[in-house]
Amino acid sequence: MKRIRGMAVRLNPADRVFYGLVDFFLAVILVIVAVPLWSTITLSFRPNHFIGSNLEGMFLMPWQWSTAAYKALLGNTGFISAFSNSVKILVFGVASSLFLTIPLAYVLSIKTLPGRKYLNVFILIPYLFNIGLIPTYLVVTKLGLTNSLAAIFLPGAISTYNCLIMRGFFEGIPDELKESARIDGASELYVLLRIILPLSKPIIMTIGLYYGVTFWNDFFHAMLYLNVNHLQPLPILLRNILMASGMNEYVESSAFGEASIQAIKAASIFMSAIPMIAAYPFIQKYFTRGTLLGSVKG
Amino acid sequence: MDMKSTVKRSKQKLMGDIKRHRAFYALLILPICYFIIFKYLPIWNGQIAFKDFMPLDGVLGSRWVGLANFTDFFQSFYFTELLRNTLFYSFMKLFVSVPLSIVLAVALYESARPRFSKLVQTMTYLPHFLSWVIVYGILLVLLAPGDGIVNDIIKFLGGKPIDFLTDTKAFPWIVILSDAWKEMGWGAIIFIAALMGIDSSLFEAASVEGASAIQRVWYITLPSIRPVIFMVVLLRLGTILDAGFNQMFMLYSIPVFSVADIIDTWVYRQGLLEFRFGLATAVGLFKGAIGMLLLVFANKLVRRISDTSII
Repeated sequence: MKRIRGMAVRLNPADRVFYGLVDFFLAVILVIVAVPLWSTITLSFRPNHFIGSNLEGMFLMPWQWSTAAYKALLGNTGFISAFSNSVKILVFGVASSLFLTIPLAYVLSIKTLPGRKYLNVFILIPYLFNIGLIPTYLVVTKLGLTNSLAAIFLPGAISTYNCLIMRGFFEGIPDELKESARIDGASELYVLLRIILPLSKPIIMTIGLYYGVTFWNDFFHAMLYLNVNHLQPLPILLRNILMASGMNEYVESSAFGEASIQAIKAASIFMSAIPMIAAYPFIQKYFTRGTLLGSVKG
Repeated sequence: MDMKSTVKRSKQKLMGDIKRHRAFYALLILPICYFIIFKYLPIWNGQIAFKDFMPLDGVLGSRWVGLANFTDFFQSFYFTELLRNTLFYSFMKLFVSVPLSIVLAVALYESARPRFSKLVQTMTYLPHFLSWVIVYGILLVLLAPGDGIVNDIIKFLGGKPIDFLTDTKAFPWIVILSDAWKEMGWGAIIFIAALMGIDSSLFEAASVEGASAIQRVWYITLPSIRPVIFMVVLLRLGTILDAGFNQMFMLYSIPVFSVADIIDTWVYRQGLLEFRFGLATAVGLFKGAIGMLLLVFANKLVRRISDTSII
């Protein structure tokens, strides 16, 4: 007897093969996902004197790891500046996005609102009709946002898709909760801030994560709108480092130490990924619930 | 009661309704300003698709040229190539990623080892959160012709090393497979959600009747997620002209342009590197219009098949 989803099940030989194959498939998938990540991590810690191929390098044990590449990166002013630009974009971006998306999604979820239908259409037209890159580029440059970090997060501050997921969540909150507060004379703003928001932690974390990932990972808008070195975020620097074929201006030779350029490249990949990797296990428990609620029903 | 007073009464009621909701309208002020500036002004700017746009003359001041920008694109040497590449990548990603996500979701759901299943689920979500710059870096580690792991294995097996990212034969596969690697776990979420909704009494009944595990998957698990599969495929068809700009922009290079250039990358180069704003906007407009029609149509079909809808 074996327990499957809490049920005691008697397995015949064919079933045993089936469950064996299921786990084998999952193991293969796990290896396929993990090996590229693992090989990048080990490469970033590989000492310069290591002789051998990347394949052999994957089996380098943690006690042989060298942190020279990370020391070189953290001692590099260009890297520190790019990292702090990325953090600024992340923080201001998520804050302004939530500040704009939450009220819109909340009002869209009010079923008694006069004109709600027109508001929906107003939101959906640009969502369905994607006009493309150039017309938006003209607006952003005309507003004088070139070479300011706001150019990265302001044009994409409201994602209609995220807003619709959030609306779906708000619609699921029972009206009685709001009504009882209103009867007690609470204002609408009070209802939103004190009743709705505390109940909406899962969706706010989820949508906040979605926005955060978009802003942290943005390469393209930074390339379009930021032309000065001191404003460049991490993805731009990372691409420059990856494109470099040898020692170059991105890594000062004095700080270069005993790290190879390969290790520096791998370390900068890992450093760019760290905030996402670190944040997401904590938020994961929210987003499985949050996404499911919104995405299926919309 | 005559018509006039009824109209008047309902008007008063509407005014009262609006007044009672004034706090909500106040909440809308900033989001609506945002929409006007960043979503509707670009649509207004879309008129340059029909103009010979000169930055100094501005959007309004530029000369109307009718459909010249569109005919330039349709008659250009690149049109068929771009359309072919775009559709190729969209369909290949659909054929590879969606079945993979379905199989993964079913395997995660069926596995008799919940902890292992959870671990695999967590790991397969992870690449979705990495940017294409990062994935490009990881691909370089794996595929570099000199010291990449894949070429180490090829050399070990006695083959000749391949420069995957500049080889026109290998490149399309790198695009399709790296997309599958990055997105299969995330794509599985929606199927997992559907699987969670299956009534477990069905499985109990099946096990009482002596159904084998494979029969359960075939007759219960897969049929119960069929509407979601339809929905996902239809939505993907609705965005068929988006073949993945960020990925392609990061991975492609001049040697592989003939198999890599998609509509979006071409629009970018025409518009922002060659400054042919009118032409680039026309192509964007063309793509946007087709995309809208497909999406509205897909949504109608989804609504007919299941009672869910995306918009």
